[in-house]
Amino acid sequence: MSKEFNLTIKDYESGFFPTWCPGCGNFSQWRAIRQALVELEIPKEEVVLVSGIGCSSHMPNFLDVYGLQTVHGRGIPAATGIRLANPELTVLVYAGDGDIYGIGGNHFLHACRRNVDIITIVSNNFVYGLTTGQASATTPVGTYTRTTPRGSIENPLNPLTVAISAGATFVARGFSGDLKHLAQVLKKAIDHRGFAYVDVFSPCITFNKNQTFDYFRERVYKLDETEHDKEDYFAALDLSNQRFVKDKLPIGIFYQIEHKTTYEERDFSLNQGIIPAHASLDLTEEQIKTITEEFY
Amino acid sequence: MKKDVIIRFVGSAGDGLVSIGILFSKILKKHNFNILGFRSYQSVIRGGYNTYQIRACNSKVLSVGEEADIIFLLNKKVAKLHKLTEGSKAMVIYDNDSFDLEDLDYPEGIKKLPIPLAAITKEISKLRILKNIVGFGAISQILGLDETLIKEVIFEQFGSKGEEVIFTNYEALEKGIKYAEDNNWPELWERHKYEKAQQMIISGNEALALGMLSAGLKFYSGYPMTPATSIVHYLTKYLPKLGIIVKQTEDEIAAIGMAVGASYCGARAATGTSGGGFSLMTEIIGMAGIEEIPLVVINSQRAGPSTGMATKTEQADLFQVYGASQGEFPKVIIAPYDVEDAFNVGIEALEIAEKYQVVVIVLMDLYLSESNSTVRKLDLQRKNKRFEILDNPPEDFKRYQFSENGISPRTIPGTKNGMFFTGSSERNEEGTSLASTLAGLPDTLPIRVKMVEKRMKKLDYLIQELEKPKLEGPENAEITIVSWGSTINIVREAVLHLEEKGITANHLHLKYLNPFHEEVVTKILQEAKTTLCVEQNYTGQLRDYIRMKTGVCIEHKLLRWDGEPIVTSQIVAKVKEVVKNE
Repeated sequence: MSKEFNLTIKDYESGFFPTWCPGCGNFSQWRAIRQALVELEIPKEEVVLVSGIGCSSHMPNFLDVYGLQTVHGRGIPAATGIRLANPELTVLVYAGDGDIYGIGGNHFLHACRRNVDIITIVSNNFVYGLTTGQASATTPVGTYTRTTPRGSIENPLNPLTVAISAGATFVARGFSGDLKHLAQVLKKAIDHRGFAYVDVFSPCITFNKNQTFDYFRERVYKLDETEHDKEDYFAALDLSNQRFVKDKLPIGIFYQIEHKTTYEERDFSLNQGIIPAHASLDLTEEQIKTITEEFY
Repeated sequence: MKKDVIIRFVGSAGDGLVSIGILFSKILKKHNFNILGFRSYQSVIRGGYNTYQIRACNSKVLSVGEEADIIFLLNKKVAKLHKLTEGSKAMVIYDNDSFDLEDLDYPEGIKKLPIPLAAITKEISKLRILKNIVGFGAISQILGLDETLIKEVIFEQFGSKGEEVIFTNYEALEKGIKYAEDNNWPELWERHKYEKAQQMIISGNEALALGMLSAGLKFYSGYPMTPATSIVHYLTKYLPKLGIIVKQTEDEIAAIGMAVGASYCGARAATGTSGGGFSLMTEIIGMAGIEEIPLVVINSQRAGPSTGMATKTEQADLFQVYGASQGEFPKVIIAPYDVEDAFNVGIEALEIAEKYQVVVIVLMDLYLSESNSTVRKLDLQRKNKRFEILDNPPEDFKRYQFSENGISPRTIPGTKNGMFFTGSSERNEEGTSLASTLAGLPDTLPIRVKMVEKRMKKLDYLIQELEKPKLEGPENAEITIVSWGSTINIVREAVLHLEEKGITANHLHLKYLNPFHEEVVTKILQEAKTTLCVEQNYTGQLRDYIRMKTGVCIEHKLLRWDGEPIVTSQIVAKVKEVVKNE
């Protein structure tokens, strides 16, 4: 018997209107996340949204779900801990490019290979916004920012290539300028079994005059309108690198495989169906015997 | 009859010194001896100079002792390196098939006990490990141990490996015993029948882990770092049966991040490391502090700074943990003092963390983490209860509601109508960020003031629950010795030795470092004739800490920072010097 689900997108709002600059790319993600949750009929109390630090990381303030904001770059570890403590929850990480690709880069790599069933959404605006406009890991070479007044001299990271190589089982890209498409990508990401990662082109209207809404509108095209086979590892890798070859930017699902076991399925406690957050705190006599035998 | 013997195994990394030490400790334990064992080693996997020293007494063992009575040299290289003090009367056992002691510079008084281990074992099997069992047999003659009881231990240890292994070991043991008998090896005391005992032999880290498990530990994460790693090793062994999560992470930041996430979600969680990893954890300690997420963080101190001496002990992280993370928040610091206490602290730390929704730092040190000690049978059967977790939150539920003792009601994800936001920024009672969502509206300032007070006053309530420090020993002693952490029993032993020499000393040992029993400590120190602080560091961190907290300056200090545990004779000598000059 399924419970009747009658929540609306509005019900997932916290009651606080986002503090982002008017016109910020984060707004459509605020909407897309709620839309995906409603369409998947996931009750509010079963959702944990974890963020880090940055403009985008303010997101959990504006949603009526369990919201946990960590320090800069540490959303992924916290989300991993939450999910392993209670695998019945839908656990999302939402943070920016500075947070996930910069300071939190190590956790991103390991989350990809670990394949814990969490969803990581990166609001990628190619700049540090909340600290008023410095270069980030995705800032293209030559870009003028407040820390690169002569143009950035570092090569940018290509996060999708990294994610595919590191073993992520769902790798996609969305665009804040296409809400409908973004909501569908997020829905598939949440529905995916295993680590799902979505990079979202999300223009910063205040500190980034290069990667603007118009810039992306002229370049993006949808993968589901092409022949791309999302289960083809090498095709996905190739595609993720196209940004550097052609001036075309694919959005949609680059890579998705369903056959890889998740961390939860491999874990020796979770695969017995145990939910650590709810399990009895007391040891059984048999457990005590097992764990103390070696000391006699 | 008082029995007190020190046995030292000397070998290299790769010789299996810990296994040898533990196995021989178990043999002694079986004979109702109390044991303390400690390995001194280097940061290499093969080679080097290592020792495993066991002290066995029929009373409580207070330290691993200094000069060994029986020394078992496992190879020639270490035999050359081994130093014996002038006047030593130790019995030195060595394999004279492999090397001789003649060309080595050993003191005259020692008793050389050669035994052709290679030849003896060759008759039985090619297994190198059998040499140790032959040696055990020979040593057991010196100690007058019971062959049947030793065989029981061998059976318990190797029983699962099949009959052949057991009987080969029995044979090795018998040959060792026979060799010692035939060659009239000395006997330390008269033979008598031993009572069988049911104690446990366990390390500080394992006891801490057992304590946490019995208090409902459900999640432990860590990144390998000596001397904390053995906690993960132990917990991982029984994973499927325990049904808990143990996670090796990509770094210590992830370790503490995951533990915080799991705890936020309702699982009792802990993480552990040493000083270097603790440095990385620092930022999230503050986050757990402001978000009021229960968390236990273990720091097993080793000699620093930086990589320092990875396998050596020290107590130099007190200010690191006291000052961990920016800003002010309630932080509990507990320093367990011996193996059994580590078990109790494991329970206490998880309970305090959950009850007060605070970070509890368990400050171990390598000497305690790695000491193997006999303890009474630890009681793991507990009826644990949960603190302040609402299943049915009321309509006006506020996660950070102001309260008398600073503790607020809490929900965990999955609970209907319990949703709340928490962030690493300052907030109001609902959890809403003052700085971003409310964007610093002027009326948020008084909320900030109250929110800091709410968090901090938890410590005022907690301290009332914690056992007050007590002065051990005679009231009007000539000197009061102050210590913390693993040195407790070494100081106790020194106090006994001093008493024999006609010097009265008493002892103040501090376990709860924050919150701190300021008034009790002030009173005790002010009433003392003279005071001495004993610590394993260069600057006297506890002494400085006590001065900061109480204004009282401990007059004398005995400090050691070479990485080896302080020994009883050092304390005795220092006290004599201090008392003489008073």
